[in-house]
Amino acid sequence: MKKFEVIFCIVNAGFSEEVMEAARNAGARGGTVMHARGTANPQAEKMFGVSVQANKEIVMILVEDSIKEGILHALYGAVGQKSKAQGIAFSMPVEDVVGLSAKAIVPQEEQPTVQPAEEDPQ
Amino acid sequence: MANAKNTTTKTTKRSTKKTAKRNLAPNKLVMLVTVVNRQKAEYYLDLLQDFNANLQLDISAFGTAPKLLGLLEGDIEKQVIFSVIRQDVAKKALETLEEKFKTIRNGKGIAFTVPLSSTIGVAIYQFLSNAM
Repeated sequence: MKKFEVIFCIVNAGFSEEVMEAARNAGARGGTVMHARGTANPQAEKMFGVSVQANKEIVMILVEDSIKEGILHALYGAVGQKSKAQGIAFSMPVEDVVGLSAKAIVPQEEQPTVQPAEEDPQ
Repeated sequence: MANAKNTTTKTTKRSTKKTAKRNLAPNKLVMLVTVVNRQKAEYYLDLLQDFNANLQLDISAFGTAPKLLGLLEGDIEKQVIFSVIRQDVAKKALETLEEKFKTIRNGKGIAFTVPLSSTIGVAIYQFLSNAM
């Protein structure tokens, strides 16, 4: 039985494409992008009397355990703190997964997150 | 000999009873993450409520469609549901979800569980696990 991990990558808004590109090159198939707001640097906010709500994007990618390391390294290089994306990435162990068909293991197939409904013949 | 055997079985029975009482640990909790089409999110929220999911968060999201397929924008609108449920019902919840993913039209999705390591506060635990 294959083990899975879920990778969360938090980047500045607008960089989710770069995250997915790096992840795909490292073997990921698809991901889900959520919008979020970062709450960083409260001191600076106080000093200038403004509230800075940094828009962020969280990319959630479900991957096999074996390729997790490679993807994290790819993300570190492509969208890490040194890049404009200022991304952080971490992974969590996943207990059970459903919805990823056996076909999804084949690189050609996409995981349901990225599939249009029309592709389903049923 | 027979007597001796009897006594040993008795003692083991007793000890297991004792340990069973001692090991009455509260049920572990897991975070169930479900990614489905936005139109079907309400349905899945209701479905997961049956598994004693008292805390559910749903967040609108987008699937990352590969460019080569040239998808319509509307097709990749997703909803991510985060629900906290007890570990012992997680398996059944996932089985039910899998069945629905297969049978419901336009209801495809993925779901997975992540174990929660700790929670603080008895009331919060009771709320999350729906235990009285």
